Formats: sequence, structure tokens, C-alpha cells
Amino acid sequence: MATTVDQLADNTIEDPELRAPLVLGGLDYEGVTDAVCAPWEGKLPRVWWAVLGVALSLLMMLGGCVGHLLMKGVGVWGNNNPAYWGWPIVNFVFWVGIGHAGTLISAILFLFRQNWRTSINRAAEAMTIFAVVCAGLFPGVHIGRVWAFYWLFPIPTEHLAMWPNFRSPLLWDVFAVSTYATVSILFWYMGMVPDIATFRDRAKSKIAKMIYGVLSLGWTGSARHWHRYEMAYTILAALATPLVLSVHTIVSFDFAVSQVPGWHTTIFPPYFVAGAIFSGFAMVVTLLVPVRKIYGLQNLITIRHLENMNKIIMATGLMVGTAYGIEFFIAWYSGVPAESYAFWNRAFGNYSWAYWIMVSCNVLIPQLFWFKFCRTNTVMMVIICIFVNIGMWFERFVITVTSLCRDFLPSSWAYFQPTAVDIMMLIGSFGLFFSLFCLFCRFLPVIAISEVKNVMPESHAPAGH
Amino acid sequence: MSDRNENTNAHEGPDQRFVGLLAQFEDPHTLVAACDAARQAGYVKMDAYTPFPVHGIDPAIGIRRTILPFIVLAIAFGGCFAGLAMQFYVNNDISTLGLFPGYEFKISGKPYFSLPANIPVTFEVIVLSSAFATFLGMWALNGLPRLANPLHRISRFKRVTNDKFFLMIEDKDEHFDRSRTEGELKEWGASFIEECNEDLTDHKLPAWVRTAGVMVAFLCLLPPLVVFRMSGMTNRAPRMHVVPDMDWQHKNKTQTVSPNFAPIGTPDYLFADGRAMRAPIPGTIARGNLVDDSEYFYGVQEGSPIAVVPKSGLFTGTNAVEQDDPPAAPADGAAAAKELDWVTTFPDRVTVDEALLQKGRERFEVYCSVCHGYSGNGDGLVNQRALALAASGNSAWTAAKSLHDPEVKNNDKNPVGRIFDTISNGRSSMGPYKDQISIDDRWAIVAYVKALQSTGIEPESTVADAKAKE
Repeated sequence: MATTVDQLADNTIEDPELRAPLVLGGLDYEGVTDAVCAPWEGKLPRVWWAVLGVALSLLMMLGGCVGHLLMKGVGVWGNNNPAYWGWPIVNFVFWVGIGHAGTLISAILFLFRQNWRTSINRAAEAMTIFAVVCAGLFPGVHIGRVWAFYWLFPIPTEHLAMWPNFRSPLLWDVFAVSTYATVSILFWYMGMVPDIATFRDRAKSKIAKMIYGVLSLGWTGSARHWHRYEMAYTILAALATPLVLSVHTIVSFDFAVSQVPGWHTTIFPPYFVAGAIFSGFAMVVTLLVPVRKIYGLQNLITIRHLENMNKIIMATGLMVGTAYGIEFFIAWYSGVPAESYAFWNRAFGNYSWAYWIMVSCNVLIPQLFWFKFCRTNTVMMVIICIFVNIGMWFERFVITVTSLCRDFLPSSWAYFQPTAVDIMMLIGSFGLFFSLFCLFCRFLPVIAISEVKNVMPESHAPAGH
Repeated sequence: MSDRNENTNAHEGPDQRFVGLLAQFEDPHTLVAACDAARQAGYVKMDAYTPFPVHGIDPAIGIRRTILPFIVLAIAFGGCFAGLAMQFYVNNDISTLGLFPGYEFKISGKPYFSLPANIPVTFEVIVLSSAFATFLGMWALNGLPRLANPLHRISRFKRVTNDKFFLMIEDKDEHFDRSRTEGELKEWGASFIEECNEDLTDHKLPAWVRTAGVMVAFLCLLPPLVVFRMSGMTNRAPRMHVVPDMDWQHKNKTQTVSPNFAPIGTPDYLFADGRAMRAPIPGTIARGNLVDDSEYFYGVQEGSPIAVVPKSGLFTGTNAVEQDDPPAAPADGAAAAKELDWVTTFPDRVTVDEALLQKGRERFEVYCSVCHGYSGNGDGLVNQRALALAASGNSAWTAAKSLHDPEVKNNDKNPVGRIFDTISNGRSSMGPYKDQISIDDRWAIVAYVKALQSTGIEPESTVADAKAKE
């Protein structure tokens, strides 16, 4: 029985002669299975209950806010002339962006044969789905009459005698986000079936056997099944890759297709996608550092995995910083007074505080990742990643609110102020996210067990075979 | 063949059937080698079971490449076409296509269908349909979900999702021989060999489940039955309103009493006078309500009293005289009208020209011809029918005047101002038209009537007299 012989305590050191191991602690196949199943089989840690308790109470607050909004109308938000898009759209773009890292890890890194993705992709995909749920909530309740939500879709109705306008970016958004949510769920579930089968085979209670039995669809691990499964996985990855790029591109079209100064720029699609990956990876690191500690998964989610993600955060952070600079250059170079004013106003106008929070969190603080200490120290990376997420929220705030509050008509200029409901709904959406994530950690395999086994050195046939 | 049957029969109980032999291997390399050996030994109906996709096993076991990518490609093309067709249909008004015609959004003259604007949604539809094709196609080709599988009855097989590797050679295989196959598997490195049996026991549902099922099915039938019954009934109760939406709004209609906001005690109205709306401030005129030209607005000379003005504070800008009891009876109105100082020429604001006459003709034919006839002879269809009814004693009707009657034509008795007033306020049994016809249009009709009168058409009564004389 082969085991991972692993003398390296630190797999972040690059040794050209050796392929750095992705599984530490001398775990064999059974060891990997045991490590992932341990939190599911063992007693729940107290921290889990604490996090779930806080998350559920925040979720209840969110539910109360949504109920209040539905009874009173969207006037309970701070959205008003001229900032008709206030925090709801900011939160929507923020959450959708966070989701992108999951698809990037599961699809794009898969196509690039980045084997280190295997131990983080499951949790990242789950994060994607929960983030899209949070994102969908905001435009969902922003439509005002939620009971008529189906008007968003091209459904033939006799009483309405109307159809959606397919030339509107907002409708493209409906299609993009709903497709993204659906494909993410399919991808996530399909990837999880072999691991649910593991749970099925290890389940003790009758109910668990039944539920996981049904969910695993009778998976046996047949070689013929694996063959088609791997093909399907590759195709889904190939579909999800352009999809994830299209989603944030289309989200950016919501802004870029309009005429508002500061929005009407062609740099938006790539800039939004880079920002989405930036914020998403920051969220993955923020989530996985505590999860690996609480669940004792340090041998599977190693420092090397985290370091790789931190490198991506730094790279995308630099892209985002470049985009900020290019925006200013184009605003000056275009010679359009309204455009130049919009950017001058962002940096030095009455929202300059938000702008400089954004620049310091997104451009300056990630520079700490140039130091290996910051890339490999879990406390440091979580602090930096939290700053990145704050910065990315402010980026969406700056884009949305500063442009709307200083549009072409000076007589309508105003200063946006959120209401208590705005603030409580943003905090509440984190409750929704963490409630779902806690339940995921409890009931489903947090790490793709079969994929990790596949990248272990002993899985590969000896040369010449 | 007979050997095999003997062998298998020995292991077949009354309630289970032998399916094949399952061999366990400890690592992927041994398994791949065993698969290779089994294929070379001539086995076809066999499959390997592993905790993860073992590379190199496909050729070893003889698995052909799946057709899944081609299925997905076909669906993707279909999705592309469907996405484009949906957008074309939905945003173009093709009424001939039946119950649900498309809807054309007219936005800055942009085309209803333009590829650049339709690419994003088409792309999303392609991805969505292809993803479902991949997901569902993969499970369908794999024959999953399959919830009952004889393999799952073997407790050792539970480790297939953990760390063990299995090879199963089926009883159905031509080459299968129980003892020989078992020996071969051992030789290839199997650590354990187990027989796999299918359970043939008939698992009937307990009786109470069936009873409960029938009851649930019956209960599910009730709502549609109630709906069906109600659809044929009349009901005076108002329709249930699940979501009130904007049908009832918290607002006060015009000219209503304000609601009392005080729960008890002193009434608390929206305004002190108990109204839900405000009266105009005395001395002000609402936009568009300034009446400063009696010739134009009433057809009377400047300074003359006018025919009928209702008492209100609305018209205070001109010489209009308020009357406490406006003459209601037409006879009184006619008597009073004689003393009024009618204008005899068109007011300054009205320019009589070809366009005005055409406008007057069009309005005359809409409003006046029904009684007075197209030529003004008083032979409109309503007049004819009413006279016929009156002749049979079913109703009373004062015949519409012929506009060519010498009385009517008399310019002294009926100057333009008088005709204007007649159209505005009515005369005799003719009703007022000032609420239906705008002032400009009334003057246009006056001009047209004058033009009709000067055509020399003889009134019908004169023609009848002449005929009688002949």
C-alpha cells in the first residue's frame, strides 16, 4: 500500500527536482477519505454552532428587512432621484463578483491542468452558488412587485400581452445571472456525486443512508461511468469558462451601455472581470483559512494552496489598479468635459473618502503579498483579504453612486444616503451566505475527495506501463 | 456452456440470481494490469470500479470514446437557433403567429432585431442548453440514476468510494467459467473474490402505504374538482384579490369629503373645512381657463351680457355675468337671446379660409349631420327614424330644423354669434355641444353652416310645396 512519503514540512519551497506535494502528512487514499469525512462523522465543533447562530440571526434580520420592504415598497431604501441605483445594485455586483472565483478555480484552472485546484474547488464552487443566491436577492426584491417576477422572463401571457426587451442590458443580466446560477449548481452537484457516494457508503443512520443514497444516483465508480463523467466534466468546464467571463461582462454592460459619465467606458468588461476574480479569491481565502483550521484539513488545503491563491489576488489586484489608472488617463485623453469631471469628482469630490478607501484596500494593501511572510501567514492573509473585500465593495459603491449623483444635469445633483434598511440588508446578506456555507460544511464533502486522490503521486501508473 | 450453467445453478437460491464475480485489488496499477489481462483472455462483459478515474484503464478494459461531445454540440446548435428565434419572435410584432404576438419596443428608432444586441442572450441560451445536455446526457448514457444495484449488496464493495479497486466479470460473458475465472482473477492479483447476486425477492409495499397512497391521490383530486364545479356557477361576491397591487390606493378622489383621521373625539380632517381637496384661491385663474374675449368665447359683443353662465367662482376674468338662476327652459333662453347683442362677423381670432371650412365640414359631418343631414336639410338618419317613431305614436320628437329654412337663414335673426351660441348651449330641443366640441371647431362649424346656407339649396318643405303645386 503506497503512501505519500512526505519529508517536506513546508511545501512552499520550490525544488526543481521534485514536484511539490499537494497532500501532506503522509496521507494515503483512506487517509484522505477519513480526513474529509471526519468533520461530517465526528462531533460538531463549538465554533460551527457559534457561527451558524450568528449567521441565522443575521438571516432573520434580512428576512425582516425583506418583509418590511415588500410591505412598504422600495422607498425604505435610500434609492431616490438621482441615485435610483443605490446599495442594492452595489451589493448585487459585489456578491456576483465574489462568486466568480469559484468558477475560475473549478473551470479555468481545470482547463489549465492546475492540479492544486482539487482541494479547494468544492468549497469555492459552494461559495459561488451561495454568493449568487445573495446577489440574486437584491435585484429580485428591487423589482418592487416581487409577485410579478416572472415578467422578467419571456413567458407568453394573455393578460399582459407584453414581452421583455431583448436589447436591454438589464435583461441580458437576467439571462446571464440565472444561467450562471444554474450551470454552477449543475457543475457543483455533478462534481459532488462521487463524494456523496462516499458519504452514502460510510453513513451510519438509516435516514442519512437514504438521503445520500438518492443524491448519489447509484454511483458505483464504474470505469465506463468515469469515462463519460470526465468527458462531461471537461465539457462543463469548457462551457463555464466563457460563461464566467460573460457574466461579469454583462453585469458591466448594465453600466457601460448607458450614457452616464464614468460608466460609458469600454474598459468596464475586463476591469469588472478582473475585479470579480480579485474579490472572489479574497473571499475563498477568508473562508478556507478558518475552515481548514476548524476541520483539521491542513494536510489537504496546504499553505501552498493558500499561497497560490494569494499570488492570484496580487496579480488581479494589480490589474484592477491598472484599470483605475487607465480610467483616469482616458477621461483626460478623451477631452470630454463631463467624463473628466466625473473622474476628478471621484477622486476629489464629495465622495473622495470612498474612492481613497477603495484605492488603499484594492491597490495598496495587496502589495503586502510581495512578501513571502504575508503570503504564507494565515492571519496576515485573512486580514489582507478582508481589506480586499471591503475595497471591492467600495469600488462598486464608487462606480454606482458617484456617477449617478453627478450626472449631466447639475440641478439634480445630490448626495446619496443609505437608510438603516440598506445597511441591515447588506449585513443580513452575509448572514444568508454564512448560514448556507455552514450547512454546506456540515452536510456535504468540503473537499473533492476523488479529485484529490486523482492527483496523488501513487495514482499515476509507473512509467512504461 | 453446460459447465457454466451447473456452476451458476449451484449458487442460485430461490430468491437470488448469480450475476458475476467481483475481485478486489489493492492499488490502481494491479487493477489496470488485471483489466488488460482479462481483455486479452477474451472477456468482454466486465467493468472496473474505482474511487477515482484511473488513467490508462480505458484502453485496458476496451472502453470506446463516448459520443457525449457530439450530443452536446448538436444541442448547442439547437440552442443557438432557439435563442435567436426567440428574440426575433418576441421583439417583432408577428400578429399572424396566433395568440401571443411579439411586442415591438420602439426605442430611438433602433431596429427590432439586431445581431449585436442579441448576442449576449443567444450566448447564454447556448451555454444553458449545452450544460443541461452535458449533465443529463452523461447520466442518461451511464444509465443513472439507478437506485438498486446488486453490487451495493456486497459490504466489501462499500470501499470502492474510499480506497479499494474492483473488477467484475459478468456471468453473461461468453467466456465466463466460474472456477476458471476465479482462478484467473487470483492469478492477476485479486486480494478477495466475491460472488455478486441479484436479489429477486419481491418487495411488496406494506398495505397501509397503499391505502395512504389511494387516500392522498383522492385528496389531490378535490381541488381540481372544486375548481371545475365553481367554473360553472355564478357568484355575486367580488373576486378574490390575492395581491391588491395598485387597484386600491390610499388616496382621496376629487370632490370628496376628507376621511376623519382622529380615532375618537374631535374630528381631524385633511383640511379644516373637511374637504379632501382645496378650492381655488379667490381671484386666481387656472391655466387655460382665462376667458377674456366674449366675442370668441360666447359669440356676443364686448360689454353685452351673455346667454348662460353657471354660477361659480371659476370665470371671473371677463365681463361674463353671473346669474343666480341661469335660464334653464329653452323658451326663456330664446326669449332672452333676442335681447343679446350677437356678433355678426367672425371674431378676430377666427380666420375664415379654405382650411377652416374643411375643418368645419369634417366636424359638421361628425356632430351635426346625424340630425340636420349632410346638406343641412334636416334629413339626418336620427331625425328620419325619430320622425317615423313619432308618427307611430311611440315617442315625441321635435323635427330637426332645416338649415335652409328662411327663418334660420335670416342673417338678422341668426347672425354667426347666435349660431355659435346655439351649437354651444343648444336651442329648443337641441342639446348643448360645448362639452364635446372645442371653441375653434365650433367656429369652424359656424363658417361651414354659413357656407351651406349660401349654396342655394332649397329647404325640403319648399320643394314639397312646389311639388304639391305642380
